[in-house]
Amino acid sequence: MSLFEKKPQPYDLSNFTVLIVEDSLYMQSLMAQMLKAFGVGDILACESAKEAIDLLSVLQASKKSRYLTTVDIVLMDWLMPKGGSGEELLQWIRGHEKDPIRFLPVIVVSGYTTEYLTATARDLGANETLVKPISGNGLASRICNVIDHPRPFIKAPHYFGPDRRRQTVAYLGRERRIHPPEEVKVEKQP
Amino acid sequence: MTKNEDTTVKMYKMANRLKERAGLNLPKDSEGFLAPDSIEEADKLIAEVCATSAETIDKHLKTLGDLWENMRSSDPSTRQDTATKVFATAHEIKDIGAMCGYDLIAYFAESLRDYIERTELNLNAQVVIVQAHLDAMKVVHHRGVKKDAGPEAEELKAMVQKAIDKYQ
Repeated sequence: MSLFEKKPQPYDLSNFTVLIVEDSLYMQSLMAQMLKAFGVGDILACESAKEAIDLLSVLQASKKSRYLTTVDIVLMDWLMPKGGSGEELLQWIRGHEKDPIRFLPVIVVSGYTTEYLTATARDLGANETLVKPISGNGLASRICNVIDHPRPFIKAPHYFGPDRRRQTVAYLGRERRIHPPEEVKVEKQP
Repeated sequence: MTKNEDTTVKMYKMANRLKERAGLNLPKDSEGFLAPDSIEEADKLIAEVCATSAETIDKHLKTLGDLWENMRSSDPSTRQDTATKVFATAHEIKDIGAMCGYDLIAYFAESLRDYIERTELNLNAQVVIVQAHLDAMKVVHHRGVKKDAGPEAEELKAMVQKAIDKYQ
């Protein structure tokens, strides 16, 4: 690097608000501290899907208030035995009629290490999944991925969420798409 | 899919507001990063939490023991609430164990959590399976066994599996 070249700067997350939805207070507190270490400006926390739904509804309803913040990223546990699971919360978010809620980036954090979780979370519209045990690098890379690679959202008859295709590899099998790509409407969101 | 169902597919391409808010004005296709020292600090936090994890696991095992006593002395039809608590406690032990290198405890906690998930604990024999898991976790914790491998681990796993096979 020459003397005049600028040194790459890390992201500044001080303007970000992250909502943690985690029923274990132990994990909730750890994740909040990790986000604080990353420099996240505002951290909100809920213990269940129901609590998160209430909070997001209030924030959406009062978004004109300068005292209330809007959530940028939701970090949610999948398995919460009381008050609604991560699955229910993700369905509620992606099924919401208001854009600021239904397009929210969601990172699913789970202790389940099965392919079933990854597939279900992806099919319900999660942006990223992070399998516990969490690490600094793991959490940082999911956050950076959400910032760097926001996939376009797809609204299909049985799916709403980020485009599930992450690779652009040519498909060699039988054509099974109902619509050829040129017929798919592309809309710019405000 | 019925004939009248709308088959339209829409794609929404949105402005990347998060990248704008992250404050770097990076070109669209370039990737940013979080400060390496902040990631290091996050890992230090995990290490700090893990430094007290043995006491935390101990506390959770005591809770599990109380729940098991409660389960044993209660009518099978009223066990659902206790089962939910056993499930949640086992899940928490699994998380802490996996994060802090107590692989064998995490293995048994996960096995107990999954067992509770697929059973309703309405048979007395199922209490024995919960007990087998609890005993195994207590032994592991008492002896300070961490790794999920070796003769001791295999012996304990076989003991729990025997209980599952016998009473399930």
